[in-house]
Amino acid sequence: MNARVLRDIKARIGVKDNEVLRKAYLYVARNTTLPPQVRHQAQLQLNTFGRYTRPTTVKNRCIATGRGRGIMSEFGLCRFQFRLKALKGDLNGVQKASW
Amino acid sequence: MAAVSSSRVTALLKLRSTIFQTAWNPTGIRTGAKYLRGNLRGPAMANYYPMQLSISKIAGKYPELELCDEDEQERLDDVASRKKRGKGAPKKAKDKSQSRRLGKRR
Repeated sequence: MNARVLRDIKARIGVKDNEVLRKAYLYVARNTTLPPQVRHQAQLQLNTFGRYTRPTTVKNRCIATGRGRGIMSEFGLCRFQFRLKALKGDLNGVQKASW
Repeated sequence: MAAVSSSRVTALLKLRSTIFQTAWNPTGIRTGAKYLRGNLRGPAMANYYPMQLSISKIAGKYPELELCDEDEQERLDDVASRKKRGKGAPKKAKDKSQSRRLGKRR
């Protein structure tokens, strides 16, 4: 658990809390059948949302070490933790290949 | 077989959209519907990291258990003893002039 993981958790909670409102504003702002003034107002409202409310700020990090690169999304682990856990037999259905 | 007129085809498509409750948008105008169509991703996103239990968390939630976080207690004792010997953290600067950074040689 490092600061980057804490930041990511913050972003995830922010996304969850603001998702419905953001989608509503997005719908209005991107709807070309609505008057331009209304759409512009909606876009201005969208711009007031903070950084940690956008789903693009969320990054999948390793759930064991917090590493941000080389994550296997199926397991949520970085490649080294994946190897360690797989060799230990903690991951169901994962076998070391040999042929 | 006789060719079906295009007006009949559009009428059929319109009827189909009313039956299956889909939006009738033959010209492909951007209505922003795609932002409302998908499922909410937030709840799944928020549950990505598994819950981590710690003594301090449990103690904060249930104060009546009177749990003691030994590591935290040891840290606090260390800080207290360091402070006693005059090795504690310096006081926070109230303004810029008090900042210790100014006198720092680079």
